[in-house]
Amino acid sequence: MGNPSQMPEPLREAVGSLLLAMADDEVLLGHRDSEWVGHAPILEADIAIASIAQDEIGHAILWYSLLQELGWPDPDRMAYFRDPPEFRNATLVELPRGDWAFTAVRQFLFDFAEKVRLEALMASAWAPLAEAAAKVRREETYHLMHSRAWIARLGDATEESHRRMQAALDLAWPHALGLFEPAPGEALRVAEGIQPPEVELRARWEAEVRPILEAASLVIPEAEPIYGGRTGRHTEHLASLLADFQMVARSGLGETW
Amino acid sequence: MFLQEKRGEPHVHVGAVHAPDPEMAFILAKEQFVRRGRCVSLWVVPAEAIYASRAEDAEELFSSALEKEYREPRGFRVAERVRRWMERHGESLPDA
Repeated sequence: MGNPSQMPEPLREAVGSLLLAMADDEVLLGHRDSEWVGHAPILEADIAIASIAQDEIGHAILWYSLLQELGWPDPDRMAYFRDPPEFRNATLVELPRGDWAFTAVRQFLFDFAEKVRLEALMASAWAPLAEAAAKVRREETYHLMHSRAWIARLGDATEESHRRMQAALDLAWPHALGLFEPAPGEALRVAEGIQPPEVELRARWEAEVRPILEAASLVIPEAEPIYGGRTGRHTEHLASLLADFQMVARSGLGETW
Repeated sequence: MFLQEKRGEPHVHVGAVHAPDPEMAFILAKEQFVRRGRCVSLWVVPAEAIYASRAEDAEELFSSALEKEYREPRGFRVAERVRRWMERHGESLPDA
């Protein structure tokens, strides 16, 4: 199943729908992280979050490139020339960057979701996806170290840090559950061995993140998942993010650089 | 922060970061100092663990007032040049 031209049409659609969700998650989180450039609490943290932003955008390019192989438009067109309802990201990544606590909590929840997803996809029946997942997984080792360290330190450092981290978790958690909203075509992907069911990924993710959050004295909220992102229903924050993110590409200046 | 570019080479001081503990220092330093170059190992050492001479003592401590050229191991420079030449040409000397 290596050659996309040999993939039957319904499967091509189903694999594309997963790749689109992953690519859109990464590109928008990368953009939100990049909003810290020049503003992070200390210079060193600024450089680290900027690097992580670049990594996420690099992953997005990889997923968009696989999509292109399946017949979707090129990565620039995908990132810069679609409108909010065409994006398939989970709402978690479109929320405003908030304070450093929110950035740390969101990044932590996302990094571990990415870890369990990549580890599952390394066994995917579609070889190009399995190979790309293995490549990206290597880069996640540092991200996981980074996000875990911030959770451990800020969770119970001071009364204020605890309060901010708990508020961040209360806001982020239901949106983070939305990372596991099945993108259209899941049944076919599971049947063809492209991915395990999202509900399984969510269980693996919770088994990893819960103990770390609890060890940092944070209370995991009882909340229903916020779904919608994987079918193009977003919060009001996506439009303003895209207005900023797509402004230069859409100004037409891109043609003459 | 001390960075080792290749196994067997010395760890070289590359700079410092602000951090409350070694783990955080490591996490922050990784992006400061290993964004572009090579690295196989990174050491974190708290600044207060380094017993250092003062800059104003350099003259008295480290430069000879009298002629003591006989103590300088000049011959070794040739060995160092041979080693570099061999490395450039893909050969290596047996360990001393």
